[in-house]
Amino acid sequence: MPQQSATFGPGVGFLPFWLGVLMAILSILLIVTAWLRPADPTKKVIFPGRQALIAIVLVLASLAVYILLLEVLGFLVDTMLFTAFLLSVVMRERWKMTLLIASATSGGLYVIFQLLLEVNLPKNLFGF
Amino acid sequence: MDIFQNLIMGFQVALSFQNLLFCFIGVLIGTLIGVLPGIGPTTGVAILIPVTFGMNATTAIITMAGVYYGAMYGGSTTSILINVPGESSSVMTTLDGYQMARKGRAGPALGMAALASFIAGTIAVLLLTFTAPPLANFAVAFGPPEYFALTFMGLTLVTSLAGESVIKGIMSGVFGLLLACVGIDAISGAARFTFGEIYLLDGLGFISVTVGLFAVSEVLVNIEEPMSQVYTQAKLNIRSLLPNLQDWKDSFGALWRGSLIGFFIGVLPGAGATIASFLTYATEKKLSKHPEKFGTGVIEGVAAPEGANNAAAGGAFVPLLTLGIPGSGTTAVLMGALLIHGLRPGPMLFQNNPDFVWGLIASMYIGNVMLVILNMPLIGMWVSLLRVPYKALMPLIVTISAVGVFATDNNIFDMWVMFVFGIIGYIMRKLDFPAAPTVLALVLGPMVERSLRQSLTISHGDLSIFFTRPISAALTIFALLSLFAPLFRAAWRKLRAAKLGM
Repeated sequence: MPQQSATFGPGVGFLPFWLGVLMAILSILLIVTAWLRPADPTKKVIFPGRQALIAIVLVLASLAVYILLLEVLGFLVDTMLFTAFLLSVVMRERWKMTLLIASATSGGLYVIFQLLLEVNLPKNLFGF
Repeated sequence: MDIFQNLIMGFQVALSFQNLLFCFIGVLIGTLIGVLPGIGPTTGVAILIPVTFGMNATTAIITMAGVYYGAMYGGSTTSILINVPGESSSVMTTLDGYQMARKGRAGPALGMAALASFIAGTIAVLLLTFTAPPLANFAVAFGPPEYFALTFMGLTLVTSLAGESVIKGIMSGVFGLLLACVGIDAISGAARFTFGEIYLLDGLGFISVTVGLFAVSEVLVNIEEPMSQVYTQAKLNIRSLLPNLQDWKDSFGALWRGSLIGFFIGVLPGAGATIASFLTYATEKKLSKHPEKFGTGVIEGVAAPEGANNAAAGGAFVPLLTLGIPGSGTTAVLMGALLIHGLRPGPMLFQNNPDFVWGLIASMYIGNVMLVILNMPLIGMWVSLLRVPYKALMPLIVTISAVGVFATDNNIFDMWVMFVFGIIGYIMRKLDFPAAPTVLALVLGPMVERSLRQSLTISHGDLSIFFTRPISAALTIFALLSLFAPLFRAAWRKLRAAKLGM
């Protein structure tokens, strides 16, 4: 099998390379047009405030932990904990509602995905 | 007429109790699958194959076809309600559908999506009935240069559509194309951008990227706004659950244009509901008297893509039944099912198994009717879901998204992709980069690159091949014009302003 199989047409790096060039040109254009445009004082700052930032970090961190622990704790337990965390910590929901919604969510999703759609959801050591 | 006799025979087949029942089951499952982010019609149809082993061929295919276009409809529900497209064909619906929902018009949006799907689907089946064989020849005339021109045109149109800044739109599209390059190159077999990770060999999954870019980022963005405000407007102003007379007048053109364009695009193997949805959206925007309103919640912006994707699903049956060429992943699975049941799709199918073919076509009419009957009452239910306080809804959205993404390939890695793109999506949103071009470029990227390289291989590196073949030339020139038109217009305006200012 010859190394160069695409002898007439463009090779493997063709598209990524030129897309990269295009992206670079567009970025420069973007910077230049933004520079030349007069500043708009009415536009608000895009960086989120401190409270929102904490909430965002919490959501992302808990999502990462959820994914990491999925095969360890199994779907039911992990989803329950994750949903409960989001509800109680981030959304500051009362603990009774939290419990209710968390169990309904993980249970419901289990029924839909595992039982109805026969998707093999991760299980922990104990088999659930 | 021969066709009518065949149709009547087809209806006799389709209206048997068993076929009706399974058509209903198929449509129901299809809608559910379409609503759940993550699982798409391809997976749904594939799951059903073993289930349908025991049935006769006609019933089996009727069920699976029901799942297919049921999913087309279901995908629009999440697009409109929570700005998460269920499949690539629902991405365009998010642009205006979600905005309508935020303005309290979720009901009419959902209703129009259902009815547009029905009308367009029916038109498509009519076209399928009468024009299948001659259309097959049209599909065959499309070679690599034409496919490149078509997908290139699709890309240029979509980058100019979303958002105000054209540069950011194009950058978003280029980003999507770069993402599409991840994985094993189809032509040479070289692995690109995989960084030694096995799970990247197949590329970044469309579902993982889309759910991350749309759903997760949406959740992150909404955290900043006061929680209650996200859906309060929807709670207060649910005036009606159905589109009103004005909506119908506005959408009339979009409906029949969407059906026609959608059907013909669906006929082309490889091009399908996705391209159809944004070609019709772009067409409606360009033909509209108020193009600037697109993206803020105009009903035509929902009617056009929703009609088109159902029409395209109908059109996809043309190459499948007449030539034995599956046009998309789902039709490929359907073809596999046909083969398992001993039916060979192709020109002889109409002659050898007329009861099957016409029974299938008749069931598509019936399936469309069932979809509307099934889904109209559900609109009230969906809209009332919006009343659920966002506090409870947000964790639900995150979890369903994560599970749905996992379910596509039973792979934890996909969830990490979703995670990363959630962050990227959040940043893109804050910086006003539209997400739709990225996702659409991701879908079209492989086809763009493959047809580009095939065309250049055929022409030995000569770019003029795109301009010497008539169809390809027309599409390419149109694409280039639409790409540079805003630039020309802006330059022209500056020139005139300078002249006047002198």
